[in-house]
Amino acid sequence: MFSTRSSFARSTLIMISIGGLILLGIVGSTIWLVQQSRHYFDEVVSARAIRSGSTDLLSTLQDAETGQRGYLLSQEDNFLEPYKSALESLSARRDTLRRSVTGRQSYEKDFPRLDQLITQRLDDLNHTVDLAMEGKAAEAIAITRRGAGEQTMSGIREILNNYMVASEIDLQAALDEQSEALATLQRATIIGAGAIVLVLAGALSVIYQHIRDLSRARSEVETLNASLEERVNERTEDLIRANQEIQRFAYIVTHDLRAPLVNIMGFTSELETSLNAIQPYVLSEGEILSEDEIKLARVAAEEDLPEAITFIRSSTKKMDGLINAILKISRDGRRQLKPEPIDLRELLETSAASIQHQVADLDGSIEIGGRMPKITTDKLSLEQIFGNLFDNAVKYASPDRPLHIEVHARPQGPRFIRVEVSDNGRGIAEEDLERIFELFRRSGQQDKPGEGIGLAHVRSLTRNLGGDITVQSEIGKGSTFVLRLPSDLTKVAGV
Amino acid sequence: MKGTGKEVTIVMVEDDEGHARLIEKNVRRAGVNNEIIPFTDGNSALDFVLGKDRTGETSKNSYLLILLDLNLPDMSGIDILAKIKSNPHTKRLPVVILTTTDDEGEIQRCYDLGANVYITKPVEYDSFANAIRQLGLFFSVMQIP
Repeated sequence: MFSTRSSFARSTLIMISIGGLILLGIVGSTIWLVQQSRHYFDEVVSARAIRSGSTDLLSTLQDAETGQRGYLLSQEDNFLEPYKSALESLSARRDTLRRSVTGRQSYEKDFPRLDQLITQRLDDLNHTVDLAMEGKAAEAIAITRRGAGEQTMSGIREILNNYMVASEIDLQAALDEQSEALATLQRATIIGAGAIVLVLAGALSVIYQHIRDLSRARSEVETLNASLEERVNERTEDLIRANQEIQRFAYIVTHDLRAPLVNIMGFTSELETSLNAIQPYVLSEGEILSEDEIKLARVAAEEDLPEAITFIRSSTKKMDGLINAILKISRDGRRQLKPEPIDLRELLETSAASIQHQVADLDGSIEIGGRMPKITTDKLSLEQIFGNLFDNAVKYASPDRPLHIEVHARPQGPRFIRVEVSDNGRGIAEEDLERIFELFRRSGQQDKPGEGIGLAHVRSLTRNLGGDITVQSEIGKGSTFVLRLPSDLTKVAGV
Repeated sequence: MKGTGKEVTIVMVEDDEGHARLIEKNVRRAGVNNEIIPFTDGNSALDFVLGKDRTGETSKNSYLLILLDLNLPDMSGIDILAKIKSNPHTKRLPVVILTTTDDEGEIQRCYDLGANVYITKPVEYDSFANAIRQLGLFFSVMQIP
């Protein structure tokens, strides 16, 4: 129970931790990817700015050039107008481009030269326009024709073209990377979602399992409770029975010990009475005794004295026998039991073999039937139990028919076996069914020798093994002794 | 002790021969001269009182007094008492329980079943002899149906 609970807590905790870690991973990678994508966006923006800046700058320069040429050729002031506006916007566009390329190594390194070329070109343009304004247009045209300006311009164009091409590549790369980053983000999210679903499924299965375990444990506890009550009742019954038995035993012992004691005391007194009758005769010393006195003394010597002595002797002998019987039962009760697996069939066959001779004399037969259940118990006790039961079956066989003894055994519930020893003997009267198990008690015709110990012994042996013995019988038909024994003595508490 | 004009026979059911002998001696000392028939076990006593068939027909016209010990080897004296007291022919026969037991429950049960007298055998012989002698005196004045 405890291990289940702690493993449940552990696996739930692990699941929650894994889920949390995955979530953290998704959030982290999302933040990283967003940052990444912002970076690519900046990249795109700056590449765009460089591209448009370059285009703008080039077209402005070309505008300025066109204006200058128009003015040089026509010397009309309205051509000067676009030139001037171009120059005006040029410085702003130049600054814009400068800002765009600042911090970008591949562009920045070319910028000073571009700057210088632009300045040189503007100087050229300004110089020619100034000359034309002073009326020296021809000189200005000549300067322009020489093509020095053209060289500068192509240098500028080259750099700006490079800028445009490079920025185009950068732009494409940034866009590619951004879409790559987005794809990665999507993949990460999908994987994370899958992982969370898995973790969730795992957690659910753990919880489901735990709930199932819990309900199973609960039903187990319920059945245990029910069987516990049953077992408590069983034990209480056993205790009540044991207590009654002890009382009955004490009663029997005191009665049976008291009976010979009454005899001993009684006949001792009778002995004294007889002695009183004899004394005058023996101690007469020549006195004349009356007829009566002589008769009394003779009767006492002839009958009363021997009778009293016989009874005193037999009573002491009886007491001795009783005390020995009690000792035997008490010794059996204290003997250390040695539980071992027993082949019941073999044990029964051995017991049967020991009475085979007597059974054969009665034309009888013994049948040991069917499959025998397994039993682990004290072998000696079991041998004595069956030995006594078989002896009784032989002893109280009915004279009218050949003796037949049958033994059957089967499991009774998970913890007990039931052995039935049946005979077709003279049977036992219904009111004596309990009595026969009592110490010094016998039943029916008293035509066989016996002290009334055998079955009392069998019952005490059986109860020592945690079992019990009962009898079913019909007078004149036969008896069946039913043994109920724990199938494993080692599992019986209190043994 | 007399029945209506007939001598009464004492049936003594006592498994211990020593006790039987002591009881007989002391009953005689009390001057009771009725015939005493001893039995040492229940079955033979019942055979005599109720007959082999246990109908009680045999005792229809006999005058018996039954001295009964409770602890017998083959059956309980209580069963004998119950059988005698439940038989229409023998139910009026006086039954004297004479036993070593002084268990309260046992005494009550015997009277419930119809025992007429219950006497516990004292261990001490003087008391024992005295009790039996007084019982004998009681017998000598008793009227049996």
